[in-house]
Amino acid sequence: MNQAPVSCIPNAKMSKAKKVLDEARASGNPELDLMEKGISSFEEMPGLLNMAHITRLTLSHNKIVDIPPGLANLVNLEILTLFNNYIEELPVSLSSMPKLRILNLGMNRLNALPRGFGAFPVLEVLDLTYNNLNEESFPANFFILETLRALYLGDNDFEFIPSEIGQLKNLQILVLRDNDLIEIPKEIGDLTRLRELHIQGNRLTVLPPEIGQLDLIGNKSVLKMDYNPWVAPIADQLQVGISHVIDYIRSETYRYLFSRHVSVRGPPPPKYIDKTNKLSRIRRNI
Amino acid sequence: MWHHNYNTGPPTPVRPLALQSLDHSQLYQRRVLHLDQNERSEDLDLSPTTGDYEDLSENDWTSDQYSNSSANWTPSPQSKPDRLPPRNVAPSSRAASSNANAIMQNSVSLPLHASNDVVGVTGNMSLGNMFCSRCGDGFEPHEKIVNSNGELWHTQCFVCAQCFRPFPDGTFYEFEGRKYCEHDFHVLFAPCCGKCGEFVIGRVIKAMNANWHPRCFRCEDCSKELADLGFIRNQGRALCHECNAQAKAVGLGKYICHKCHGVIDDKPLRFRGEVYHPYHFNCASCKVELNSDAREVKSRPGFTSNEMNELYCLRCHDKMGIPICGACRRPIEERVVTALGKHWHVEHFVCAKCEKPFLGHRHYEKKGLAYCETHYHQLFGNLCFVCNQVIAGDVFTALNKAWCVHHFACSVCDQKMNQKTKFYECDLKPVCKKCYEKYPAELRRRLRKTHEATPKKAAV
Repeated sequence: MNQAPVSCIPNAKMSKAKKVLDEARASGNPELDLMEKGISSFEEMPGLLNMAHITRLTLSHNKIVDIPPGLANLVNLEILTLFNNYIEELPVSLSSMPKLRILNLGMNRLNALPRGFGAFPVLEVLDLTYNNLNEESFPANFFILETLRALYLGDNDFEFIPSEIGQLKNLQILVLRDNDLIEIPKEIGDLTRLRELHIQGNRLTVLPPEIGQLDLIGNKSVLKMDYNPWVAPIADQLQVGISHVIDYIRSETYRYLFSRHVSVRGPPPPKYIDKTNKLSRIRRNI
Repeated sequence: MWHHNYNTGPPTPVRPLALQSLDHSQLYQRRVLHLDQNERSEDLDLSPTTGDYEDLSENDWTSDQYSNSSANWTPSPQSKPDRLPPRNVAPSSRAASSNANAIMQNSVSLPLHASNDVVGVTGNMSLGNMFCSRCGDGFEPHEKIVNSNGELWHTQCFVCAQCFRPFPDGTFYEFEGRKYCEHDFHVLFAPCCGKCGEFVIGRVIKAMNANWHPRCFRCEDCSKELADLGFIRNQGRALCHECNAQAKAVGLGKYICHKCHGVIDDKPLRFRGEVYHPYHFNCASCKVELNSDAREVKSRPGFTSNEMNELYCLRCHDKMGIPICGACRRPIEERVVTALGKHWHVEHFVCAKCEKPFLGHRHYEKKGLAYCETHYHQLFGNLCFVCNQVIAGDVFTALNKAWCVHHFACSVCDQKMNQKTKFYECDLKPVCKKCYEKYPAELRRRLRKTHEATPKKAAV
């Protein structure tokens, strides 16, 4: 237990992570901080996957490419942060982690989510900010994540959001900032608990009238919708304030305008965010 | 009771015939005297019994109250003769055929019997004029002769028409001119009780297409004897008047007053678990006659069950200061919860969201409504963003969210932050300076651009 297994990985690199692990084992601290340790592989963290008692694992700002399926052995893990790594793929086993509540995969290189990803039993916060995901990336069962209360999809490549989004009944926060969204499905109106909606920096021209059912203008609510090519009436209201936009969307006038707009829809506005410099693309660009 | 066996003297009307021969017999004379006395004494015994007959036949079974029932005892012209015949008629004639008929049809009662009559011994009387009623032969001198109701028999001829055996104890029943022993008479003619299946001797209740002993014919709800009360047929059941009224009221969706048993047309007054016409009661305080608004003040602590309950008119009740529940508007007689400036039944003081009673658990008030801990925080946002639990101690509020003080951390590296820690915001999540500086330049540029735009907008 105290003697690390012999490994071919250089000692200097090993020692940084190993030191943290040894300390954690000695103190019994269930929260493991391993950010910015230059880790590129789980092999540099010997015995980690046997530390089933840990509840938090933070591996931000490393160079991890592969997540071993054995990570799912950490059955007591509640918070897993893998922000700013080089992850391109996730193991299917991840979604079987029984206590995982907060999963942060922001700033990686994910192109898709593994099948069965919606199977997390208690996942509450999922951060997929700054990846290369689009509407094709969701596995079929993704929207059965009924426990989800916050979903961060900012800085991705979505043009559409599947209408099944309406099944996420407990969703309170939805971030779609800086994607390529052309439209928002009307099922967003089913997200009755939604209090925070970020849709700024997209290609949206109209909003579904159903969005008027949501409480997005209370003092505990946030709606961010700047930087979209809105139709003139919405753009005008937005100049005055968010509450005016919502009031307008709830009006009969807008309902009429929206139905007309949908029936004679022209080509979508061009993409106007240049993503070629995104960190998540760098590997591809090299 | 009905079939006394008594020996009677020779019937008066026929006496001349019989007496002519027997008059001279001292034995006979003594016997007649003796029997007359017997008869007289029995006369007294019988009188109440006779009354019973009259009761039955004189009751007006067709009065209005019964007319709705097809099963009422209907009088028949023949029922009058069912009364006991006058005493001066020979007993045996009471069971005369016409009578027996009436009895059977009108089901008043069985006749009795007559009884053994005189067994005389002919002396040197005019035997030549006397013939046995059965075989028609004459009598031998000194032969025993049975005289019943003026008719004479050989002792061996005076037997049951069915079994040809002498009448036990001399008791016989006569029907259509024939005499039967008790057993055979019952077997042949007596009705059977619809309940117990036994022969009905004496008073017969004919109702509901069957015959009954008076004791067996009872209300099907309360088992009261109906023979003298009358009954009403209600959906194939024989009921007493009270039970019928009740059944009818239930059918109409109305209550029956527990006091007067009348139907309560208006709102009933509930008192000690029963319903009443409100006007049977007066206010315990001001004595005014009550209406259905009256309130029952239930037993106070220290008193048991309903025994101490009292009724008050609404006015007096309100003056008594009994708190009214803010939810159901009914008085609170047990534990009172006082909250939100009102009184509540313990079980009616509930979370405005989930409607579960607090039952003494802590509640949270907001805009005149009370919430349970969970829903208060769920609705008003004091759940920690990290642990999603109600924040017990100090609350760290920022970015439209709240945190337990010890859960407030950088969303990128999970390092704890405190109030003094400088942090950046990205998608309304806190990012520590160290992590923010690791963001790619192009992202930081965009975030900065938005950030600069936002306050400008807010100022407008």
